[in-house]
Amino acid sequence: MGGGNADSASPIGRAQMGRGRCFLETAGVEASAAPQAGRASEAGRMNVGVAHSEVNPNTRVMNSRGIWLAYIILVGLLHVVLLSIPFFSIPVVWTLTNVIHNLAMYVFLHTVKGTPFETPDQGKARLLTHWEQMDYGLQFTSSRKFLSISPIVLYLLASFYTKYDAAHFLINTASLLSVLLPKLPQFHGVRLFGINKY
Amino acid sequence: MATVAEQWVLVEMVQALYEAPAYHLILEGILILWIIRLLFSKTYKLQERSDLTVKEKEELIEEWQPEPLVPPVSKDHPALNYNIVSGPPSHNIVVNGKECINFASFNFLGLLDNPRLKAAALASLKKYGVGTCGPRGFYGTFDVHLDLEDRLAKFMKTEEAIIYSYGFATIASAIPAYSKRGDIVFVDKAACFAIQKGLQASRSDIKLFNHNDMDDLQRLLKEQEIEDQKNPRKARVTRRFIVVEGLYMNTGTICPLPELVKLKYRYKARIFLEESLSFGVLGEHGRGVTEHFGIDIDDIDLISANMENSLASIGGFCCGRSFVIDHQRLSGQGYCFSASLPPLLAAAAIEALNIMEENPGIFAVLKEKCKRIHKALQGISGLKVVGESISPAFHLQLEESTGCRERDVKLLQEIVTQCMDRGIALTLARYLEKEEKYLPPPSIVHDLQNKIKWWQW
Repeated sequence: MGGGNADSASPIGRAQMGRGRCFLETAGVEASAAPQAGRASEAGRMNVGVAHSEVNPNTRVMNSRGIWLAYIILVGLLHVVLLSIPFFSIPVVWTLTNVIHNLAMYVFLHTVKGTPFETPDQGKARLLTHWEQMDYGLQFTSSRKFLSISPIVLYLLASFYTKYDAAHFLINTASLLSVLLPKLPQFHGVRLFGINKY
Repeated sequence: MATVAEQWVLVEMVQALYEAPAYHLILEGILILWIIRLLFSKTYKLQERSDLTVKEKEELIEEWQPEPLVPPVSKDHPALNYNIVSGPPSHNIVVNGKECINFASFNFLGLLDNPRLKAAALASLKKYGVGTCGPRGFYGTFDVHLDLEDRLAKFMKTEEAIIYSYGFATIASAIPAYSKRGDIVFVDKAACFAIQKGLQASRSDIKLFNHNDMDDLQRLLKEQEIEDQKNPRKARVTRRFIVVEGLYMNTGTICPLPELVKLKYRYKARIFLEESLSFGVLGEHGRGVTEHFGIDIDDIDLISANMENSLASIGGFCCGRSFVIDHQRLSGQGYCFSASLPPLLAAAAIEALNIMEENPGIFAVLKEKCKRIHKALQGISGLKVVGESISPAFHLQLEESTGCRERDVKLLQEIVTQCMDRGIALTLARYLEKEEKYLPPPSIVHDLQNKIKWWQW
């Protein structure tokens, strides 16, 4: 109905109504100010409970404000919880953190397909995983870079804390590969052996 | 393995780093290089766009000729030579100042100028005003809407009904609410334009079968079954629908519903039945084609009809099980994003339903009159009657086409003008010729109204 756009009206537009500037003068000013205001406000805001015109909100989840921090805190929490189990040694804890993090990432980003809500594009993303839906398939955006780098950082830390042990190396490397390969642009939409295709 | 006493010492860890195996360190080096590469890579879209050189772009710009804003149109385009109707289009219609018998309005039960309907509408107008000024979800739901939905559900003996404010939008919103990309819809070739637009909006795979040809439909269903057996995982996620009309607008024929129900259960598809012309016409009590054939209403998954024909109102409704109809309250685009039906029209529709329930005899009278008119028009040389004998809306087509559609249309228009000179209002069937999938041959649409008095002509 138009109610949802109230907060995105440019401040200059509102001011001009009070001052009554001439049309030609304000048109130029408004045109330059409005896109900047719009871009700043929509950059990281998570549109919960507001009317938005985003066709598939799944594409914007990983760009929301505070989600990277939440992700880091969650991994930290997992690690702390594993550390608090008395009979795990440090190397085991780090390997477990790495493996559980990669497993969860694989399930949520590369296994679950579609959207939990109906989208107005008649189900374009029904067969796409969350990774493929991110930013509508645009490659190497900042969220994608962040999510690619975080398992690598975790792997480097885990290698250090396991003292480069061979058995831990095998487990950690296999887990890392399972979560790095699907993120390559060459693997966009690829389903090996027909697994998870429909 | 680790005891509480085991201390973790930084020195020991760094020592382990120096003693690390080479393959591990090489791998870590590669990974660090990978991080650097990721940090410096640019974002790009996966689909490669063909890059045109500047010269090619210039050439294309040079070649382009803008089309005229107003395309040239012939002087006798029907939109330029319209007939002006003064007064209400009831049994007699005043066209261009001349009073004619109305065979052009879809007013099957003659309720268009019924005094009871007018009184109910006027009372509603005085109480609510004219429009609702809002969609159903935003202060546009009035008690008359809920009342009408309730009455329609009870009349059709289904669990729930939902009202749309525009008849065309009813089926065009209902189909895309259920059928999405990747789903398969089997639809008749003679489906009306509203169904075609709904199918286009749904982005599903459309498979057309010949009009009322159950063997053709079975062939298509069998082919789909074979495909499904080859790929059972895909088959498990695709939905299959059959969209048919009860009484086809383009041909005036009735769909063979019993065979369709058999096919539905055999090949596991869902039936969407569009009853715009058969609601209030077929069946003993006017409940449509399901009553006409004596089929249980629960066999049909969704019935959609518009209220602009028999109910002499505006808008449309869908009825079926609650589980099915409730989905449209959030997914029916025409329901959520259009203003709701004006309350005076909803009140008029309720009154029309009252009349239909009080006098179930009118349907038999209508069928009688249809048969009589059908018989009376049989012998005209050069014209053939296309449609069922009990269908109030049928077509008069040229027996032999002149070969060119425009000449056919001109000839039929001549006939219509001559009829109007003699006091009978008829109309040509109009189509958006470039948009229809299977354009029907040109014809005169003949719509019978219930109260036509036989001695008037």
